[in-house]
Amino acid sequence: MPAIQFHSGGLAIEVRGLKVTLGDTQVLRGVDFHVPKGQIVALIGPNGSGKTTLLRCLLGLHQPDAGEVRLFGQKHSAPVLQRVGYVPQRLALDRSFVLSVREFLCLKLATTRDWFWRRHASTDAVLKPVLEEFDVERLLDRPLAGLSGGQLQRVLIAFSLLGNPDLLLLDEPTAGVDTPGEHTFYELITQVHRRHQLTVVLVSHDLSMVFRHASRVYALNGVICCEGTPEEVMNADSLKQAYGIHVTPYHHDHAHGHRHVHVQ
Amino acid sequence: MFSEPYMQRALMITVLLAPLCALLGVFVTARRMSFFSDTVAHSALAGVAAGFWLGMPDPTWAMLAVSLLVAGLILWLKERTQLLTDTIMALLMSSFMALGIVGFSLLKGFRGELHRYLFGDILSVGGVDVGLAVAATVVVGGVMFRLLSSLTLLTVQEDLAHLGGHSVRGLNYLFVLLLTAVVALSIRLLGIILVTSLLVIPPAAARNLAANFRQHVALSVLAGLVGGFGGVAASYQFDLPCGPTIVLACSALFLLSLPLASLRKARVPRT
Repeated sequence: MPAIQFHSGGLAIEVRGLKVTLGDTQVLRGVDFHVPKGQIVALIGPNGSGKTTLLRCLLGLHQPDAGEVRLFGQKHSAPVLQRVGYVPQRLALDRSFVLSVREFLCLKLATTRDWFWRRHASTDAVLKPVLEEFDVERLLDRPLAGLSGGQLQRVLIAFSLLGNPDLLLLDEPTAGVDTPGEHTFYELITQVHRRHQLTVVLVSHDLSMVFRHASRVYALNGVICCEGTPEEVMNADSLKQAYGIHVTPYHHDHAHGHRHVHVQ
Repeated sequence: MFSEPYMQRALMITVLLAPLCALLGVFVTARRMSFFSDTVAHSALAGVAAGFWLGMPDPTWAMLAVSLLVAGLILWLKERTQLLTDTIMALLMSSFMALGIVGFSLLKGFRGELHRYLFGDILSVGGVDVGLAVAATVVVGGVMFRLLSSLTLLTVQEDLAHLGGHSVRGLNYLFVLLLTAVVALSIRLLGIILVTSLLVIPPAAARNLAANFRQHVALSVLAGLVGGFGGVAASYQFDLPCGPTIVLACSALFLLSLPLASLRKARVPRT
């Protein structure tokens, strides 16, 4: 078998021949895709298509049975993972664990990790630029578990950007956020993308976001079954491959003005 | 009461272990590990029986060894089987407790001892126990001080801890190791049946009053200290069994925290 060739010039993510079997199911059956640096891309797929597994492989949380993942041309290592910002879908904490937004943000930076013994003023000074950018200053003393979906998302994005990442991965970013919140979220991501000049990967089963915000779309269903611009991927044939047979996407305009794509 | 050597030892071990349990308890409650603590504590009964079988004058080391063995078995079975953690713990807890009781029944003349280990016996606290409590405070306290942030992030979201360069598996194992050791050592004080209360009640009382994590940790440690000291003092004063009195003192603090919490809420307007 010939060695896998990597061409890592301008690529943030390279995935080659990725195979993962969980239990008796082969969840990923040879996934190949690459994401050029500096783009906003969407990784879409129905439930059970292997999105979460692929995401875990990208983050180095799961060892694939075969194939390789490279970020910025390198295999996983602590320095490479430091360049990755990750916005998880949810946190494990509930109301029994009372962590304030300030305390949570301090966990990200080595300089503020000893927050327990430090005065608020000294840690806030370090966090300030990000606090202002994401309008989370007024949330600082609020418990993390008591935030609304949209507020928590802003805090999570602020947390990941404190490490100045080059790649931002967002898992189902609009789950748990209402429609106006969704709109604000995408504006925020577009701003983040522009200001920080990073690569953004949105992982979602929600097709509507793909149209307006991603420059490139990858549809996953065990393998990458189609990829291209949103317009290319949204044609019925390739979506059928990703979402099964009984799929008819239709577009319509909501009263609030932005276009949604639904899958029937 | 401080003049009697056994009370000095009892107070010493209480003011060391109760706050330590309360500190670990903040994470135990947040990570829903109280049944884990119950499991390793109950399993220590097999350690007591083994200690007597081996003719050890003090079964503390044997209890520690069996608790650590059971903690290891929980992790091992969790990784090797499809069983729920809950099932694994219930299985091991009942098996090792049964093993302990059968072991006791085969020993002649130790029936009275069983009670001392089930409910704690402050009179039996020896020099070894005090030494181990000091060692546990230094080691566990030191590690917790060093890893407080890492454990906090681990509790919030394991994947974020992984990306932050922390070893998720290593931290989980280390926490289990520290917790098991502290639980096994605290059995002397509170007994197998009640030991988990020191991990749960002070953090619960503290949670009612805390507005952030820093307060939660500080108040929990304080509640452990006050409840532990108050319990030992009350048991001496009113001639009550020590372990259960410590638990009741902690429970009283919890009850006290309820009206204080509503007062606090009424004062701070919701934003």
